[in-house]
Amino acid sequence: MANSKKERGVKWEVRANDRYFHQSCRRKSFLCFRWGRYADNVVRSYKYTPLTFLPLNLYEQFQRAANLFFLLIVILQCVPIIATIPWYSTMLPLLFVLLVRGCKDLATDLGRRRSDGQINRRPCDILTPEGFKTVKWKDVRVGDILQVHKDQVIPADLLLLCSTEPHSLCYVETADIDGETNLKFRQALSVTHTELNGDSVKQNLATFNGIVWGEEPNGNLHSFKGELHWKGERHHLDTDHLLLRGTVLRNTDKAYGLAIYTGSDSKILQNCGKLKLKNTQVEILLNKTVLVILLFMITTAILLAVGAGLFEQRVSPQYDVVSVLQRDSSPAYLGFLTFWGYIILLSPSMPMSLYITFEVIHMMHCLLIGWDVEMYWEDNNSPAQARTTTLNEELGQVGHLLSDKTGTLTQNRLLFRQCFIAGHIYGDMSKELKPLDLSWNRFSCGGLKFSDQRLVDKLRERSSPECQEFFTALALCHTVMSEWRDGLPHYQAASPDEEALVCAARELGWVFLSRTRETLTLSEMGLTRNYQLLALLDFTSKRRRMSVLVRDPGGQLKLYCKGADIVVLERLQRDGPLQESTERALELFAQGCLRTLCVAVRSVPEALWTEWSRTLSQVGTSTGDQETALEEIYDQMEKDLTLLGVTAIEDRLQEGVPETIATLRRAGLKVWVLTGDKTETAVNVGYACKLMDPDTTLIQGEELRQLLESPSPEVKSKEPEVWITSRKAVKSKAALVISGPELAELTREPEWGAKFVALSDQCQSVLCCRVTPAQKAEVVEMVRKYSTSITMAIGDGANDVNMIKTAHIGVGLCGVEGSQAVQNADFALAQFSFLRRLLLVHGHWSYYRICILLRYFLYKTTAFALVHIWYSFYNGFSAQPMYESWFISLYTTLYTSLPIQCMGFFEQDVSDKSCLCWPEIYSIGQKKQLFNPLVLAITLLYSVYTSIILFFIPMGILQYFALDYQTLAVTIQTSVVLTMTVEVILHTKFWTKYSVAAVVFSLVAFFLSTLALHSARLFTASPKDYFFLGASPNAYSTPEIWLTICVT
Amino acid sequence: MMASSYSAKEEDGHHSGPAGLGAATRTRKPDNTAFKQQRLPAWQPILTAGTVLPAFFIIGLIFIPIGIGLYVTSNNINEFEIDYTGTDMSSPCFNCSQNFSWNSTTPCKCVLSFYLDQPFESNVFMYYGLSNFYQNHRRYVKSRDDSQLNGDERSLKEPSKECEPYRTNENKPIAPCGAIANSMFNDTLDLFYINPSGSKTQIPLNKKGIAWSTDKRVKFRNPGGSNPNLTAVFKDTAKPVNWHKPVYELDSEADNNGFINEDFIVWMRTAALPTFRKLYRIIQKNNNMTPTLPRGNYSLEVTYNYPVRSFEGRKRVILSTISWMGGKNPFLGIAYMTVGSICFFLGVVLLFIHHKYGNRNNSSDIAS
Repeated sequence: MANSKKERGVKWEVRANDRYFHQSCRRKSFLCFRWGRYADNVVRSYKYTPLTFLPLNLYEQFQRAANLFFLLIVILQCVPIIATIPWYSTMLPLLFVLLVRGCKDLATDLGRRRSDGQINRRPCDILTPEGFKTVKWKDVRVGDILQVHKDQVIPADLLLLCSTEPHSLCYVETADIDGETNLKFRQALSVTHTELNGDSVKQNLATFNGIVWGEEPNGNLHSFKGELHWKGERHHLDTDHLLLRGTVLRNTDKAYGLAIYTGSDSKILQNCGKLKLKNTQVEILLNKTVLVILLFMITTAILLAVGAGLFEQRVSPQYDVVSVLQRDSSPAYLGFLTFWGYIILLSPSMPMSLYITFEVIHMMHCLLIGWDVEMYWEDNNSPAQARTTTLNEELGQVGHLLSDKTGTLTQNRLLFRQCFIAGHIYGDMSKELKPLDLSWNRFSCGGLKFSDQRLVDKLRERSSPECQEFFTALALCHTVMSEWRDGLPHYQAASPDEEALVCAARELGWVFLSRTRETLTLSEMGLTRNYQLLALLDFTSKRRRMSVLVRDPGGQLKLYCKGADIVVLERLQRDGPLQESTERALELFAQGCLRTLCVAVRSVPEALWTEWSRTLSQVGTSTGDQETALEEIYDQMEKDLTLLGVTAIEDRLQEGVPETIATLRRAGLKVWVLTGDKTETAVNVGYACKLMDPDTTLIQGEELRQLLESPSPEVKSKEPEVWITSRKAVKSKAALVISGPELAELTREPEWGAKFVALSDQCQSVLCCRVTPAQKAEVVEMVRKYSTSITMAIGDGANDVNMIKTAHIGVGLCGVEGSQAVQNADFALAQFSFLRRLLLVHGHWSYYRICILLRYFLYKTTAFALVHIWYSFYNGFSAQPMYESWFISLYTTLYTSLPIQCMGFFEQDVSDKSCLCWPEIYSIGQKKQLFNPLVLAITLLYSVYTSIILFFIPMGILQYFALDYQTLAVTIQTSVVLTMTVEVILHTKFWTKYSVAAVVFSLVAFFLSTLALHSARLFTASPKDYFFLGASPNAYSTPEIWLTICVT
Repeated sequence: MMASSYSAKEEDGHHSGPAGLGAATRTRKPDNTAFKQQRLPAWQPILTAGTVLPAFFIIGLIFIPIGIGLYVTSNNINEFEIDYTGTDMSSPCFNCSQNFSWNSTTPCKCVLSFYLDQPFESNVFMYYGLSNFYQNHRRYVKSRDDSQLNGDERSLKEPSKECEPYRTNENKPIAPCGAIANSMFNDTLDLFYINPSGSKTQIPLNKKGIAWSTDKRVKFRNPGGSNPNLTAVFKDTAKPVNWHKPVYELDSEADNNGFINEDFIVWMRTAALPTFRKLYRIIQKNNNMTPTLPRGNYSLEVTYNYPVRSFEGRKRVILSTISWMGGKNPFLGIAYMTVGSICFFLGVVLLFIHHKYGNRNNSSDIAS
């Protein structure tokens, strides 16, 4: 028995109402070790416990190369023979960085703990011997029987035992799991339904002692394999019997379930993937720069060490005062020691605190995005959200914007506007509608933007069987759930088109009343009719159609099919009568930017149905690739259709879309629209939203193919004739239009892809029509591959998730189609038009601020550390530090960090209004003008220059005095701090009170702490007492010289 | 039918998920504050020709006079320098420099004479200067024990390890320990004015006030508190190996003896560069009528103890008056003048450019 279970893959044993059994193998954990089998139902998304916080957090932090490097430096400093500066001078900044970082981690972890706590404290009812008792979620154990009420969130993965609905059906909303807002039904096994339901559910459940054998916990949301052993029988269980944690019970009063997977074993928690961290280009370049600095540092240290070796060999032997100190070591050994000494000494040139500042500023920028009132949308109460906190500066660099159409450019609030039935087009697109008198229809809820009395008349008179059939099809062929409120049906649909169609049918008298698993109930012009639902051939993005097979009250079998026009049209009976007018109607609708769906019907002979249902059930039980098998079977059914009509649904543009696109285009962004719609619809939307100007020429189909096929291996240098002739057109105004199948060819040929992207760069815009979600991602991938610019993808639905994840930056719109796009996005917006502000204002500012910050940081640390090199020529390459050790440790953390931080927060090179008025400003980010290797090299050279000035001018001046080392050190320190402050002052263009305060504070901090550190009181261990009159005048004269040099 | 009536019970439920839309009644509208909307009042200086050019000129006009002033002041300072290393055969100190090492006992004396062609009017500072002496070498700089010098009894008996190999001698702790102290400059310099009649007058050299007051009062202190008997205090210690006398015999006066001897303090304040000068004595102006050092012949009597030949070092004596800006320092004035002129020059160039091409820029200035 056990063996066979293993073979069937069911090893997870759950005994109902047997807490004791499961208690014995509860999962426990101590530190990092876990044992036991069954997790409890406590969510622990937090990472740290009080005990593990310190080691875990430190471990994580030291995975950063910079932190590790500095740890090594601290360790090196503990070796007395090479310690050039005392250990605390590196230790302090390192501690500071670790502390700040640790605090941040702790804060986020506490936040997680709090939200965990909230979830864990939610109430639920579990069955105890005394009846149902309300407990908290965290007390649920495997094997408990739970009672879930309507609209409650299900606390664990439950096996549905029975519910108050007939046949123990129950409906769940899975929005939190897969983002689909439609209701899905789950049904209990008929055996549990019949045995457990009844008047004494409680007693029945309390005596229920079935044993469930299931799979080990896994994250696959759409599959479950298991069996229930009860009363000596074995029942097969699948995912339809499972209520997943996180789903919401709808339309069902009460459901009873047996907890199978709890807590971390549950499917949704098993599914919580880790977020992939995206690195920005700026950050990558920064890392490279740091690496270059590191290499430079090591080379310099080696050179200086060689210098030290030579010094020891040539000079020291005659110089007994020093040579005695080296204690018979060879020059080579001394050089080796000096090498490490210099590594320590030059280590401050690594911008360690930069990473932490970087992070803080990123976080601040994200908060600012969320705080922006102008990106808040009242209608659905959602402000902008920055979900990834590392991508801000890339917002200022976007070169390609790839946008979904439906729901992104448009509102996705669909309205049934026109239809085509039996050769006639009903409805028009005029703006003012005189509302139809629908008072005869007691189910009417209003909201229909359709006015054609002819159709209503025809329907009421029942003079047109086609029209009746058409609306019957609309009322039957869908997956909508109805809910009754105030005597009116309200519909919950997976997709807005379905809802629009079912609503339209309702308004016109074909009211969908309710559904069960096996029946559909309609009210046709007040006449209630029951249809038996035989099969539902559901919609997939691949099939792009759905059908229902019903037995109408008259006993006839009918297949109603609804789908995208090309798919349906190719499945029609040959030589249908209305082919031509249909195509004309389709074209007409497309020109009006309407979405079209074809509706068709087929009468199915009884014999075919019996045969077909047999094959269907065979597939259902067979293993292997069910999906493709099902598809084939569905295909067999959906053929020889008769066209009933075409629906045309309007999807309005969102507010401000044309303006936004026009502004973005002025900003130099290439806007690509990727849509599943027909080419004509897409092109029309393109014109409507100013993606293309009215006089834009379209390059599509053959022409495009020619362009791509033309032999131009090097797109840029040698352009053959075809290329050149078309370039005139391209240069003036052109847009590329490409459809899904062509795109598929394109992606197969890598060379074409490159050409396509190169070509598109010269065009106004690109429209990709008829693309699948996977293709959307491929397009993004292609753009990423063949162009150097940053890509941003924006979308709102589950079909955009691929694209959002692939692009450098993904933006999700919180729209009608669930929250899946938002959950996978880096930024979430409520409206497409907010993109303008996000990119042009926040993006530009972030880019500007961060670039200035990075440059300044590199400048300040390298200029600071390079002084040591110049000094080493005067002290026999002995790694004598130029600064006091306290200064080294406080320099980056206290004296120079605040003003630049303030600048990172508040700096605005141009105001937000100017950013929006002159979008051309945005191109500095696209061209990476503020942070590229050249700029970096200049920054580094500038810092070398600064360090030379910083060292040689004070030295030149002070050499005439009875100069001691400490005076020189104080002088140079003061100059360094003043220079860096002046540098910030010169860069700041936006002086807020905080900036002024920061500058004043750091200068005051510097002078006070220097005085304090040099005071007699602190003089105990090391020589600090030297702040002498002689130092001050000189210290002040040099920075003044410096100030002017900065200005020049 | 199966139309279940809507009942409003337990409207728990929807606050899960990060994007809990819909059910949240609390408005999530951001606060409209200046800080959150990035509309803080701010001063935005715009760099235009109107602000930058005057800045250049002002800086130039401030710096050039300062530079000239500094340069003139520096030129008014009298400074006289004489090298007495004795590398030349002709030098009077040649003999001394040749046959001398650290551990010779008999002092070698030599006399140099020189002529001052200008009288030194105010107080005169007398420096000794050493060249090619790496007093800033790291191992050298570290080789001292500050707590010992601060009068700590324990460190006196147990000097810091940093002092090795000048930590102990013959099992006694060295006071003061370390290489810096060990290599203390120990030439004695005496200055005589040769009257036109031929007789010599010794010029009084003030040996107090040459060290920083903080050093003298705080940093350096003799062990044993106020115990005047330094011999007893330093009883169990050894003198540094190169020294001729123990530390408690550096001077006869009690407040200038031991660790608080000012010559010693000056030496212990290590120099920044391998060529340096250190204050040796101060010649006080005694009355207003006569200059401190009148024009005439002088002779410098050197007790030559300090060997520098091994590392090709040089020894100098410098006599200098000082002004408000310190000693003679042409560099400072020149630096100020250079920077000032560069600014001024750039200002002129920019003004020229602005004047010539300004019309084009003006329009954009107005626009922005």
